[in-house]
Amino acid sequence: MKKVTITKILIANRGEIAIRIMRTAKLMGIASVCIRTDAEPGAMYLDFADEIYDLSGEAPDIPVFLDVERLITIALKTGCDSLHPGYGFLAENAYFAQKCYENKIAFIGPSPDAIYKMGNKTVARQIALSNGIPMAMGSPGNISNEEEALKQAERIGYPVIIKAASGGGGRGMRIVRQPGEMEKMFLLASREAEKAFNDPSVFIEKYIENPKHIEFQILGDQYGNVVHLGERECSVQRKHQKLLEEAPSSALDSELREKMGSMAVIIAKAVNYYSAGTVEFLLDSDHNFYFMEMNTRIQVEHPVTEIITGIDLIEQQILIARGEAMAIRQEDVKLNGWAIECRINAEDVQAGFAPAPGKIEKLSFPEGENIRVETGVRPGSAIVASFDSMIAKLIVSGENRMDAIHNTKKALDKVWIKGTKTTLPFFRMLMRNQLFQSGDFTTAFIENDLDQFHSSSEYEETIAAWLAVKLFTEESLSDSVSSVDYEQGKEMNPWLLNKRINRF
Amino acid sequence: MMTTHKPEIKKLHALNSESEVFTFNLPLKNIVKVGKHEYTIELREDEKYGTYVLWKNRRYPVEIVRTKQNKYEILFNDISYTFTIETPFSLQRKKVLKSSQGRNDRLIIRAPMPGKIVEVPVREGSEIKSGEPVIILEAMKMQNEILSSATGTIMKIGVKPGQNVMKDDVLAEVTIK
Repeated sequence: MKKVTITKILIANRGEIAIRIMRTAKLMGIASVCIRTDAEPGAMYLDFADEIYDLSGEAPDIPVFLDVERLITIALKTGCDSLHPGYGFLAENAYFAQKCYENKIAFIGPSPDAIYKMGNKTVARQIALSNGIPMAMGSPGNISNEEEALKQAERIGYPVIIKAASGGGGRGMRIVRQPGEMEKMFLLASREAEKAFNDPSVFIEKYIENPKHIEFQILGDQYGNVVHLGERECSVQRKHQKLLEEAPSSALDSELREKMGSMAVIIAKAVNYYSAGTVEFLLDSDHNFYFMEMNTRIQVEHPVTEIITGIDLIEQQILIARGEAMAIRQEDVKLNGWAIECRINAEDVQAGFAPAPGKIEKLSFPEGENIRVETGVRPGSAIVASFDSMIAKLIVSGENRMDAIHNTKKALDKVWIKGTKTTLPFFRMLMRNQLFQSGDFTTAFIENDLDQFHSSSEYEETIAAWLAVKLFTEESLSDSVSSVDYEQGKEMNPWLLNKRINRF
Repeated sequence: MMTTHKPEIKKLHALNSESEVFTFNLPLKNIVKVGKHEYTIELREDEKYGTYVLWKNRRYPVEIVRTKQNKYEILFNDISYTFTIETPFSLQRKKVLKSSQGRNDRLIIRAPMPGKIVEVPVREGSEIKSGEPVIILEAMKMQNEILSSATGTIMKIGVKPGQNVMKDDVLAEVTIK
């Protein structure tokens, strides 16, 4: 018997994803329990819960969302028959899923076994290999001389990358584009490895140049049915942090989509995967693709898939956890239109995306048929360093990519956030960037192809100068106000200085 | 009754981080000029939006990030700008200060291109006038006179005839009079 009842869910998470899960639960007539923490006792997500378990006033050693035993106890105490982990925290912790199972709490996610197998990269690689999933080829072990290196490179295909076996941080790495370079590069890499790591051992891997990051959303039930819901393009990333995702990808035609999608289904089936999951691939410029890893959770960027497929992924997760057979067949999955998600974070794009914590003072988003906003903050909310820097996800759709870009551009101009610096200037610039518009960008886009992460016109700068002059005339030239050194004002939040400008 | 008159300030200058100057006449009008274009802007405030600039019928958010003495960091349309505000007098003083700091009493003469030293017509300790040759450098089969751009004394000569030099190698140093 795989069927279980789900009437009350413990939300083992916070922020926008907690709200997102509760929205669907409510539609399904399922009650939600949220946990109030001392870190953010007035958080917005608490307003959406049918019941709140109050932990404010406690200063735990580890955050409750990372405390397996505590979460199980809370679920049992509040009479929850199920638990949704969201993303992050314990979402991909096999032990946690196992503990839920042992306590007869339905874990709304995959099996502990699937989480374990896909979480262990060596195991995942072996599973992918034995199932014929394309992967970046590598030498079976370390390589001791140049002849062997040439032999392996011939087998793998150029370009290859020589890597230090004990390496890291880019040292001892050499890219070899043709056999003639091998002797020199092999020696260089080996010597560098010896110098840096006291170990000259190197191995060879296929070098994937400027790939695109393409991931496939899959859904599976407990009866072995698995479908894919198309891909998401997540190449706009900085230091492996995604900033913008879209669905579908301009790099895939239906043939390639079918090929990659069926590979994603194969790998999911190989671990008897059920619930929602994501199979990540690298796609090179010749349309070769390579399995990277599988994420065994709902992803931040799941809404773009929901928009183009019309499928509520949280609803599917709940139905599958309830033990129902999936009603969706592969041929039912149709991709309609285009969706783009911008992650509006409290970050300073002019300072290399440095975190910019602050207190949200004003917040408003545009509304419209093609606009969806997922947020967990409101005016008065603090963006604190202890959690992530996300303010909101702005998801905008259109009939096709250019239409979606156009709509996103318009929507971005109507987002109003005060109290902290945000990634808005980056997205406003991006929507006008030719390479982004062409769709031909890779994961190297932000690091290599952009000189600036924002764009500003002479008009805008002149207005800003006017504002500075205005402030100066008010403060320094008037007799009533003496010049104050705000930075010396101890607890003064510089954003409160807003009030001063009211005197204009 | 005696009244003291402050000198009246007719203009203010906003200098950005690249020392580009934006000048505004006082009293400050709600007009911003870029090239030939003139725009009316308005600074407003309400409960929903907070402080904003109304420009071409659109609202743009405005925030003050920090102010310190005459330095202001302004967030306009979510982009940060930092300006120092100078009066005509303080701007002039700043320029004078900068030029005196910038004036070096030493001139370093570097090779403008790679080549071979053919001749050194001066000696260490000899006087040189601005525009006189210090080194003759052969490059691309042409002999080039490398001239001093200052009048002073040759402090040091770093090269010998027959020597090959790379671009930007130091040829000589002159103490400026």
